[in-house]
Amino acid sequence: MLSEKVITEINRIKSKYQEPRSTLLPSLYVVQRENGWIAPEAMAEVGDLLNIPKATVKGVATFYSMFRHKPVGRHVIQLCTNVACMIMGAERLVDLLKQKYGLEPNGTTADGRFSLVIMECIGACGTAPAMLVNTDFHDNLTEENIFKILESYK
Amino acid sequence: MITVTINEKQIKLEKPVTILEAAKVAGIKIPTLCHHEMLKPFGGCRLCLVEVEKLPRLQTACTLSVTDGMVVRTETERVIDARKAMLEFLLINHALDCPYCDKAGECDLQDLVVKYGPTTGRFAEGKRKHPESYDDPIIVRNMERCISCTRCVRMCNQVQGASAISMVNRTSKTYVEPFSGGRYNCEYCGNCLTVCPVGAIISRLHKHTYRPWFIEKNVDTICSFCGVGCTFTVQSRGDAIIRVVPEAGKGVNNGLLCNRGRFGYDYVNSPKRLKSPMIRKDGVLQETTWSEAFAYIAQQLKTIKEQHGGNAIAGVASARCTNEDNYVFQKFMRVALGSNNIDSVAGFAFAPAQRLFGKIFGQGVTANPISGIAKSDGVFTIGGDPTSVNPVLGLQIRAVAQQGVPVVTVGYAAGLRRFSTNRLLPAPFTETTLLAALVSELLKKKPLSGEKSAFGEIIGKLQSISLAEASEVCGIPVKELEACVENLSGVTNPSVIIGRDIIQRTDGHTTILLLAALVHILNGRIYLSSELPNEQGLVDMGCLPDMLPGARPVAVESFRKRYEEFVKGEIPSAPGLGLMEIIEGIKAKRIKALYVMGENVAFNVPGQKFVKEVLSTLDFLIVQDIFLNETAQRAHVVLPSLSWSEKEGSYTNLEGRMQHLRKAIGGQGIEDWKILAEISTRLGVAMQYRDAQDVLAEIAKVSPLHKGISYEDMDGGECMWPYKGEPLRHDAGIEGLSMPDMKSLLKKSDKSKLYIGIDKPLFHSASQSRHSAALNSISSKPYVKIGSSIAKRLEVADGDYVSLSTETDTLELPALVFADMPEGLVLVPNNVEERGAFKLLPWKLNAVMKIPALDGIEVTVTKSERMTAEVAA
Amino acid sequence: MEPFLLKNISNPNSADLSEYVKTGGYAALAKAIDMKPSDIIDEVKKSGLRGRGGAGFPTGMKWSFAAADPKKPKYLVCNADEGEPGTFKDRPILEKNPHLLIEGMAISGHALQAEYGYIYLRGEYPKAKDILEGAIAQAYEKGYLGDNILGKGIRFHLYVHQGAGAYICGEETALIESLEGKRGQPRTRPPFPVNEGFLAKPTVVNNVETLSNIPYIITIGAEAYSKIGSADCPGPKLYSVSGHVKKPGVYELPMGTTLKDIIYDHCGGILGDKKIKAVIPGGISTPVLPGDKLNCPMDFPSMPKHGSMLGSGAVMVFDESVDLVKVCLRAIKFFEHESCGKCTPCREGVGWLRSILVRINSGQGREGDIDLLMEVSKNILGKTFCPLGDGAATVVQSFIKHFRNEFENKIKEAVSV
Ligand SMILES: Cc1cc2nc3c(=O)[nH]c(=O)nc-3n(C[C@H](O)[C@H](O)[C@H](O)COP(=O)(O)O)c2cc1C
Ligand code: SF4
Ligand code: FES
Repeated sequence: MLSEKVITEINRIKSKYQEPRSTLLPSLYVVQRENGWIAPEAMAEVGDLLNIPKATVKGVATFYSMFRHKPVGRHVIQLCTNVACMIMGAERLVDLLKQKYGLEPNGTTADGRFSLVIMECIGACGTAPAMLVNTDFHDNLTEENIFKILESYK
Repeated sequence: MITVTINEKQIKLEKPVTILEAAKVAGIKIPTLCHHEMLKPFGGCRLCLVEVEKLPRLQTACTLSVTDGMVVRTETERVIDARKAMLEFLLINHALDCPYCDKAGECDLQDLVVKYGPTTGRFAEGKRKHPESYDDPIIVRNMERCISCTRCVRMCNQVQGASAISMVNRTSKTYVEPFSGGRYNCEYCGNCLTVCPVGAIISRLHKHTYRPWFIEKNVDTICSFCGVGCTFTVQSRGDAIIRVVPEAGKGVNNGLLCNRGRFGYDYVNSPKRLKSPMIRKDGVLQETTWSEAFAYIAQQLKTIKEQHGGNAIAGVASARCTNEDNYVFQKFMRVALGSNNIDSVAGFAFAPAQRLFGKIFGQGVTANPISGIAKSDGVFTIGGDPTSVNPVLGLQIRAVAQQGVPVVTVGYAAGLRRFSTNRLLPAPFTETTLLAALVSELLKKKPLSGEKSAFGEIIGKLQSISLAEASEVCGIPVKELEACVENLSGVTNPSVIIGRDIIQRTDGHTTILLLAALVHILNGRIYLSSELPNEQGLVDMGCLPDMLPGARPVAVESFRKRYEEFVKGEIPSAPGLGLMEIIEGIKAKRIKALYVMGENVAFNVPGQKFVKEVLSTLDFLIVQDIFLNETAQRAHVVLPSLSWSEKEGSYTNLEGRMQHLRKAIGGQGIEDWKILAEISTRLGVAMQYRDAQDVLAEIAKVSPLHKGISYEDMDGGECMWPYKGEPLRHDAGIEGLSMPDMKSLLKKSDKSKLYIGIDKPLFHSASQSRHSAALNSISSKPYVKIGSSIAKRLEVADGDYVSLSTETDTLELPALVFADMPEGLVLVPNNVEERGAFKLLPWKLNAVMKIPALDGIEVTVTKSERMTAEVAA
Repeated sequence: MEPFLLKNISNPNSADLSEYVKTGGYAALAKAIDMKPSDIIDEVKKSGLRGRGGAGFPTGMKWSFAAADPKKPKYLVCNADEGEPGTFKDRPILEKNPHLLIEGMAISGHALQAEYGYIYLRGEYPKAKDILEGAIAQAYEKGYLGDNILGKGIRFHLYVHQGAGAYICGEETALIESLEGKRGQPRTRPPFPVNEGFLAKPTVVNNVETLSNIPYIITIGAEAYSKIGSADCPGPKLYSVSGHVKKPGVYELPMGTTLKDIIYDHCGGILGDKKIKAVIPGGISTPVLPGDKLNCPMDFPSMPKHGSMLGSGAVMVFDESVDLVKVCLRAIKFFEHESCGKCTPCREGVGWLRSILVRINSGQGREGDIDLLMEVSKNILGKTFCPLGDGAATVVQSFIKHFRNEFENKIKEAVSV
């Protein structure tokens, strides 16, 4: 069940587009911000709100890699490993996350604190390697500072 | 004029088409996969790449339109290499399980690889893994074979409008999935099966039961489920139907089918089929021989006729039987038995409505091609959900809706939920008021022009009622009504689609008048939805108490005489009784014997309780059918007849199109017309027809509508009403008809009360479909649809049982909860023995038209103790 | 050259409207609002501005197509998807100089007589979303946006629309699909967006940097503007430089500055003064160049002559230590991950390239694998629905063309053991 808050937010967004369908991506974001991920029931409900068939909603939601279809940890680490970050040592960071937190790509730590998502280029090549934690941006990562940063996420 | 050169061949074209179409004109074949003639171009598979002069890149023939002077080459080395490359790519993730795949032998990919493809694949790594899905009762999904052409998804979205499946994910991880990921829970039209070029979606009905090359017989015939009359090819082996396949460009359906047509055929192979004639001896039906049965029937009918006269005998014809069957039936009743007491369920709504519209606008006003809907600039539907009663007609509505044409839907039509511009849900049985208001408003915007017509007079007499007043009565905001009027006043040639539910009312006749007024003002085209395949045929063949073949009143002496000359016999001059009157006649002991051909009177007539009691009081009941239905169970004699696929004949669909039914398979039993002929002959009225063709030949002589008609005419396609004959110019006039009075229009329905309405399920029509294993596997359970407000009040969730009681009876049914149901209405289908809506209905007539009146029947709904979540689809 | 696009981004409050106005912001809008739309379009045509999104299409010409179409309403869409790996040039504008973009869009909107504008912002830039929305709110307040811009009765509304992780949505027709709430798959052309774009109405899609050049053109005039940088492709250009250079970052330089100058003069040369091995000059979809071929002017017409493309002007520098097979593999993994799945060669072919590269890179390479890579790329190139697939093929071809030996060595090792 979508919360009242989510529903009102979706209806607010709806009012700003000429075409209700355009509201779909923003609406899915609203749901994900609230729940961390987008459950099938949520897709169906969003579909009802926007008068879009639920199968169509699913087709759209699964096309975009930033929509999540299973529950995630409290904090989502989105680490870029594309070429620029790779040559500046991103892969090593992935290994360290595994060693330190037992965190695998697309996995979540046992305590539900962190989830790890490997990203394609996040536009920080000049200050690589870089990551987003939830919506916070962190670059010039090193084997040391990455953990200082992460420790601030409880 | 455009000139293009393809492979050095010059082609002249009127208008720009795609390279693919241009090549087709020139007889040049360009291989394709994602392209399908019924779908918009996609350009994904890249198989149709061709070389176009002046364009550096290869171009997709399916998407690029030709321009004057364009030079195209489709068989250069570059093109051939590209083709090979695309096929090699496609095989990377395509399971090479052809020996095991049902599609082998009719698989586009297989054929293309054989023709153009690489002989070996160089892709070394493992293919995508994706277990075959058997979660659905009808459709098997094998995504290891899917080539992402998206044809099924585009069919489901663009054409069917169901949008039940979609492509999920991206990259080579893309595949097709229904929302649930397992069961489809869709409309089960199966049109996705038609367009899948490979074996990615397969019908479970015949999985692994045959190879395409095992098919012994291909017979083009007509579907037996509804009044649309879709064309398909029955593919059979021995006397078993393997599958039915439609074909783009053929028939009214142009390649499409609905779930009933595509999967419901299997009832003909049901083990429950009647195999031998039966006579009731010492209270039980016992098998007997045909000759004994014939002799017995003849002798019984003879005595009853002698003792009580022909009027003591009545007959019920069948909207599932052919024109030939029904013609012989009325002849048998009139000539051999001397009775005009002939009717059918067509007499409940289709025939009387058509009659009334005919009186107003002239005979044949409802005979309009379904394809016209797609050309109209507006749609008005009322009286049921066309997408479930006549699904393939419904698709035309969805199609125009997608082109942005205004669609006004009055009443609960879930299938048009996403396709209605104005969705009006009036309080139960207040449609008449709504119509009166719409007519009043539209008259202001579009006053009647031209010379005064009799009907114009009648319209003029309508006391104008305001949207505000209607809003009060119907419980629809004035804004919505205004928006609807706004849209309607803009249209110039709308399609008006009218369903049974609006006619079977106490005030059905006045409602029809208002609808006629609306049609008159809007210059609309009328479509009467028809639940059965041959309702129009019943009318045309004279299976009505007062009409002879060719829709000629029996009461008019000249017509009667003409008929008598042809049939060489006397017939009663007075019109007979309609079906409802017949049943009352039986009750009153005026009718002693009833002859039922292919109809389930005990089930399909509202007020089952009453009807069953009455039927059991008959002196003599003969039932001729393919199943031992509720009526047959009460019969004195039961005769096994043949199903639609087992005999030749013709159906006339709701648009007034005669179509040729061909014998596809053999079956136990005898053609209905032949049975009647046998008995007739034994009654002293000889009928010597060798085959259906002979019967049609006689129809062609007797009926002024069917002058010289033949199966060839039908096979020619456009065999539309009035066929080759002439319609009756002026049917008895319309004086005596009058608009409803203000008082009745302003009467509010009691908000505290709940009323029962009839639901028309997509998956079942009635007596036949319930013997289809396939349709039952989709949905076989009865149910009641209730609005969420009622659900909240009763604290019932989807699937919970509720108990429904009317003055007549009580039923326990699982509830399906819908947020958008109109207040005060619960919907129950009539498709399951002993648990159908008609069981709850009392015996109630529209006094003027002598048809069932299903309005204003109160029902009390309570939460039931039974809480098993027996889920009805 | 005085920076314009990145003017005063060092100022911590550069994103604030008042700061922007202080340094002459919105003066161009005030000027343009009194110009005839057609005059603005002519001015942009004269300026010689070419699209900065990668294709380098002449902006004025694109605009005139849309303007010529009678259909209404018209839409202006800013492509802020910046998904091309190596590219991060739009981000400073979006995050530090949002009003420049807004002003550019307001002017462009007036020129096109478009009443609605959308900024399609990649999901990976959440911070930019808040900044843009804040700036847009300010602009509405001050009447730079809305129903009556600067009281001149001109109407332009601007919205931010957030993508959700799909590189293909940078391709303009896929972007439009996505803006319509659909799966971001490219559309067939024709019809072109300028005639049937968003909601089937005339739609101009322009890159962030492109639109941010508009105020500059209006301010200094087409004449002066066309004198900046390369003659046949003028204007300032943002180059995003990453990899093994001493001072990576975004540089605003005259269009046509050579790779050499960018790397050595502006970025201070190679990190640790190592030897340079290779450069990808225009984002990952552009052909790689060997480190000794840097004397090429970085603009649209010149780069193809030197065997590559300007693309988005994203320069990625690799020193001698880099394993280019690994880089090639990573690049292909990216394309595979981003293939929208619509067309066969990209959907299936790129995955095949990946599997071959994986085995080579992991020491499982086989004889003939290099030829196979070339063959498969050839079968993809020029046959895909959109340029994404072509990108993948070019990458492989260019890497093998210039660094075949690295591939061979890996295979040799594999075959010998
Ligand atoms: C696969 C692909 C990705 C693209 N990504 C972007 C992008 O991230 N940003 C962008 O501005 N243009 C991108 N483009 C180019 C756009 O399609 C389009 O040409 C551009 O936005 C037009 O704006 P311009 O004329 O100002 O360059 C991409 C093109 C392709 C084929
Ligand atoms: S090349 Fe084809 S599959 Fe790849 S992104 Fe473009 S359209 Fe999609
Ligand atoms: S048929 Fe043309 S691309 Fe598939």
